[in-house]
Amino acid sequence: MSSTLFSNMKYSDSLTVVGISICTAIVCEAISWLLIYRTSSYKSLKSTIDKASKKLETMKTTDPNTATIIKKSKTKKIDRVESSLKESSRDLSMFKFKSGGVVALVLFMVFGLLNSLFEGKAVAKIPFVPIKLVQKMSHRGLSGDDMTDCSMAFLYFLCSISIRTNLQKFLGFSPPRGAAGAGLFPMPDPKSN
Amino acid sequence: MRERKSVKFNLQQQHQQEDQNGHLSPFKLANLFDPDASWDKDQLGDILHWIRQALALICGLLWGAIPLVGGIWFLLFVVLSSGIIYGYYALILKVDEEDFGGHGALLQEGLFASVSLFLLAWILVYSLAHF
Repeated sequence: MSSTLFSNMKYSDSLTVVGISICTAIVCEAISWLLIYRTSSYKSLKSTIDKASKKLETMKTTDPNTATIIKKSKTKKIDRVESSLKESSRDLSMFKFKSGGVVALVLFMVFGLLNSLFEGKAVAKIPFVPIKLVQKMSHRGLSGDDMTDCSMAFLYFLCSISIRTNLQKFLGFSPPRGAAGAGLFPMPDPKSN
Repeated sequence: MRERKSVKFNLQQQHQQEDQNGHLSPFKLANLFDPDASWDKDQLGDILHWIRQALALICGLLWGAIPLVGGIWFLLFVVLSSGIIYGYYALILKVDEEDFGGHGALLQEGLFASVSLFLLAWILVYSLAHF
């Protein structure tokens, strides 16, 4: 009965894309855990970064009840901790980059598979006309002028960002907040791609 | 004038709890609405992240089911979710945003993921329910 229901839906392919994205996200995180997160190097680097960030925040916090003049020695100390934090963040990025090739390969293969399955086919309908920049992805490979047709690439992109970011957050694999490059728009940890 | 409450970093207390129990004490749900609760930066960031994700999912499902069509509803979601987040940490929790990196840092917690999740839910429900 459920298969009849899904086959009657015009855009049932979107569920296939989402399903494959969920499975891919789980597989990628499993691989990342195997190659990166369970290693002692990663754990010690993460711990170093967490401690350094918290130390830096404590040192930068000023007591409003006393004079707020920061001594030269304290400034030097803050600079030292900041340099150490940047160095640890860089080491963490390099470490993840080296081990992330396998995950990148998996993602590449999955994207290729989805592309071969749904090339030239609208898998969903966007309830608004996207801006020109977004149309390059949302209407990728589709014929016609209806810009509300959604390509597999755009849907897969949305799935990747939302599912993988939240999965990483849920499992505790997100990069530490103190690490450099957290930025305005935190993406799923790119070094584990 | 609105009172701003400084929140102390309870690192020492946290370490003491860890030493006593060997692990962190369980997070109490009641703290979510308690303006007297002390917040660690990571804890507050995580709470705001998950609130945003829940809002994104609810709005996406709702917008898609009605359906609401047009780019203006996307902007409305962004404004609405940001407003709720701001109201939560500023009015309910009454935290001092300076202790957590300012309004920008708090408002951007989970923003990108929530926008993606909202769009995904909205597009999926709209496509599956109305075509």
